[in-house]
Amino acid sequence: MLPPFALERPDRLDEALGLLDDVSVPYCGGTELLMAMKMNVLRPRCLVDLKGIAELGRLDWDGDDVLVGGAVTHARLATDDDVLSGSALLASVERRVGNARVRSQGSIGGNLCFAEPRSDIATLLCAMEASVTLQSQTDSREVAMRDFLIGAYETVREPGELLVNVLIPKVRRYRGVYLKYQYSERPTVGVALVHDEAEGPWRLAVGAVGEIPLVLEADSPSGFDPHAVAESIDLVEDLSGSVEYKRHIVEVYVRRAMQLAIQGDSL
Amino acid sequence: MADVGQISSSLDGSGEHGQGARQESGHAYVGHSVLRPDLLEKVTGAAVYCVDLRRSGSASAKIVRSTRAHARILAIDTDAARSAPGVVAVLTCDTLTGLCSRFGHIVADHEILANGKVRYYGEPVALVVAETEAAAADALELVQVEYEDLPAVITAEDALAAGAVLVHEVDLPLLDVDNLSPGEGAGSPEGGPRVDNVAHEVTLEWGDVDAAWESAAVVVESSMHFPMLYAYAMEPYNAIASYANGRLEVDSTAQHPFMVRDDLARVFGLPLSAVTVRAPYLGGGYGSKSYTKVEPLAAVASWHVGRPVKLVLDVEESIYTTRVDSAVVKVRSALDADGRFIAREFDIVMDSGAYADNSPLVIAKSVNRCFGPYRVPNLRVRGRSIYTNTSPASSYRGFGAPQGVLAGETNLERAAEELGIDSAEIRRRNLVQPGEEILQGKRGIDADLPADLEMLLSALKMGEPSNTKWYGVGFACSASDAGAFPVSTAAVRVETDGSVIVLSGSTEMGQGSRSLLGQIAAEEFGIELRQVAVRQSDTGSTAYERTTGASRTTTLAGLALQRACADALSKMRAMAAEVENVDIDTITQCPGGFSLEDNRILRYGEIVKKWFGASAGEVTGVGTVRRSGVTKQMPPFWEIGMVGVGCRIDPETGAVTVEQLATVGDVGFAINPQAVEAQDLGAATQGLGLSLFEELIYDGPQVVNPNLVDYRIPRMRDLPSRIDLMLAERRDGVGPYGAKGSGEGSLNPIAAAVVTAVARAIGRWPDRIPLTPERVWRLISDRTDDE
Repeated sequence: MLPPFALERPDRLDEALGLLDDVSVPYCGGTELLMAMKMNVLRPRCLVDLKGIAELGRLDWDGDDVLVGGAVTHARLATDDDVLSGSALLASVERRVGNARVRSQGSIGGNLCFAEPRSDIATLLCAMEASVTLQSQTDSREVAMRDFLIGAYETVREPGELLVNVLIPKVRRYRGVYLKYQYSERPTVGVALVHDEAEGPWRLAVGAVGEIPLVLEADSPSGFDPHAVAESIDLVEDLSGSVEYKRHIVEVYVRRAMQLAIQGDSL
Repeated sequence: MADVGQISSSLDGSGEHGQGARQESGHAYVGHSVLRPDLLEKVTGAAVYCVDLRRSGSASAKIVRSTRAHARILAIDTDAARSAPGVVAVLTCDTLTGLCSRFGHIVADHEILANGKVRYYGEPVALVVAETEAAAADALELVQVEYEDLPAVITAEDALAAGAVLVHEVDLPLLDVDNLSPGEGAGSPEGGPRVDNVAHEVTLEWGDVDAAWESAAVVVESSMHFPMLYAYAMEPYNAIASYANGRLEVDSTAQHPFMVRDDLARVFGLPLSAVTVRAPYLGGGYGSKSYTKVEPLAAVASWHVGRPVKLVLDVEESIYTTRVDSAVVKVRSALDADGRFIAREFDIVMDSGAYADNSPLVIAKSVNRCFGPYRVPNLRVRGRSIYTNTSPASSYRGFGAPQGVLAGETNLERAAEELGIDSAEIRRRNLVQPGEEILQGKRGIDADLPADLEMLLSALKMGEPSNTKWYGVGFACSASDAGAFPVSTAAVRVETDGSVIVLSGSTEMGQGSRSLLGQIAAEEFGIELRQVAVRQSDTGSTAYERTTGASRTTTLAGLALQRACADALSKMRAMAAEVENVDIDTITQCPGGFSLEDNRILRYGEIVKKWFGASAGEVTGVGTVRRSGVTKQMPPFWEIGMVGVGCRIDPETGAVTVEQLATVGDVGFAINPQAVEAQDLGAATQGLGLSLFEELIYDGPQVVNPNLVDYRIPRMRDLPSRIDLMLAERRDGVGPYGAKGSGEGSLNPIAAAVVTAVARAIGRWPDRIPLTPERVWRLISDRTDDE
């Protein structure tokens, strides 16, 4: 059962930022937070509910870029017409996040800040070179996804900061594949292989197997060595597999993602 | 069911079922897929479960649980918790002075609250009762327990090792031996000192097994490991108890309310009539809610504080309350060159956890069920249920059959392979014919297994893909001595408008017994279903039922009800003769009443009213079932399992996809065909879970995956794309209209079928389930160093 807590429901961002500290934490979908509270892993004094703050629900397109408010749900990203036409890949990944309840309640900001190593969306966003905006009462900073995640359940976000939005530049021009091997409730491995159609390299991100996604670049989708990727990646043994098995699965899934990309079966 | 491709049978909603052997019913209500009366309220959320119940003035309890696998309790300091806000009382075993503080229907070895020592991580040590659940939860950590660790035995192997520490020091007597034959109980009546950790041992032997090995064409030895499981009823255990004025009332999630009542009466020294146990709708049972679980805790709390007390467990606590016996089963079979059994020998070791619960029966049943429905001229089976310092194990759908059949059937497949005989053919040569005995002195097989096998094979053939690389088909069969001990009663009350109330002690836990009992009453009285109300599982007001398990409800509760209906009808016939002043022989039954010689029809309601001489009154009929007549011979019936699967393997990942499932439900007569098919599909799906995904994993003293995120159960997407659910209805059971039970059969052999299919696809035999992708990958790539 949930331990006792206070609930604040601000409707302005500055009000919310004024409330956040070590023991007052952001709350949106609660799909990770409430579970951790039920298990007594986290015991915040106050939950600051962000669902009433309009600007955190933004989904703003600017040319090829999209700015996604931190409180936007997975379900919205999976079904929004502009996302579907602007980035079928992003929508398809969001459509397969967690389960229906997680998708309808869970937010992109919550997902990234919880830094669950097996987050599909974190792996994809690392490959797409997305960044997040962290705002506090006094400051605002933009951090690249690859710098934002620093370990399992660990980010550079400070207690008084809020992830207000995610910027995915050139998302309309990204083509690629996301493959995941999922036997249990969360993926064993997630592999994103994307590139900007207009320019630049192919980027491979391998997530879920280690604490944070591994990101590599090559000139073409065939430019990666699946075996070398598997050998080089840091892996964590858990109930979904031993290190030996996970290394093997990484190799298989990197190769499968490359085959799809080479065949042109990209979204 | 959008994810499911093709399901043949009535599950497509047509209400009629297609394939299978069926005799014309000629009945109005039985034999038809009627709409279940509980369906609407369940899908709309209106159905009332135990957790929904409130009693005014009630307090809430939470359990302080052991953090050690095995330790002496040196002291329990409850002072801080007692003075915490909202706390009403804190109970420890010392609070229970004057009560019988142990329960258990076979061996009363289970302390309500740990006494002197704890035997597993998660064992209840103290109980905090508070005004609210939150207050009780907050006070839990204030209870300080001082332990002195003892060496722990976490596996059966450790527990059987020479010099192993004893989980129980005293050998307690067996209380209930109705079902434990054949074999000897391990308990001595006096309760002397124990010498080992064997909770119960059962042996079964005939012929001369030792002589057989010499004359065999092949001797095949194999062993299988069956995992530790959780039955995963959606609803965790919970109860609300009220003790006042020497009377105890308990509502709980009990499959067997009458057995729980007996345990509670023993704890408090109360007459059985002073204890009432009610079970509302259960959110799934699968055996895990058999016998007494949380009821004594809620009851002693209420007894102590003088208020009603509610106790609700979460999933993790439920996993630590009852799990499934894991097992290692070794098999040796001797066959002649034609593939006929000469002898079979089994050694079954089950890890039964810290308390016996129903595991002595599980091991006894496993012994009876492991060797299969075959002619085995020489047999030796030894089964041992072992105490370990892990959570207590007990009944699980199939009662020992899933563990035993997995080993027995895969061993037969390996023998077929060695002899070069086809899987179907080797079974044709060994399966018993209808009426043949497989257990000496017991009821002959009341099913046509050879015919069932051919039904199964025809369905499997239809689903087989043309490209068979990395694809395997497997099938297996089983026969379980089902129905448990035949003690059932039922009552019917015929009202002044001719409507009928059925009273039964059988619990509705999702299997559809409310619908089934209503159908039988409507059929027998010739009235509409809506005129029948079924009241179940209230020890204070419904009829007695020993248990709701072993697939017995249709056969035994159904038979008792049919007899209760006959009793009421016979009484009403006599009453009609009396009020009409005619010879009773001139009165014949017709739908809804009786017809007289002058063609007048007297409806039931008219008879009741005329006889009482008022617009009032009621006629009661009672029916009983005991070891007499058609149910004299044990078992009451045999429950058949006949299941096949087609599995595709991803050779790179080891992932197994079950593409086809075929089941034959040999049920004698399907009173509600759709419900029977749903039971078969449910049992098979649960069986796919343990075959492929499910396993509780102990790492040291604790389970590391006691939640739905880490304990993987089957999902809709895991269902095969082709499903054939077939019913064989030959009216060969002793139940109503020739019915036998259903609900466990399709689970029992399915793991063997899956293992066989995977072995055929990859060319190697697994020695354990679940067949996780990593295990299959290791078999394919010849890596064996994981376990």
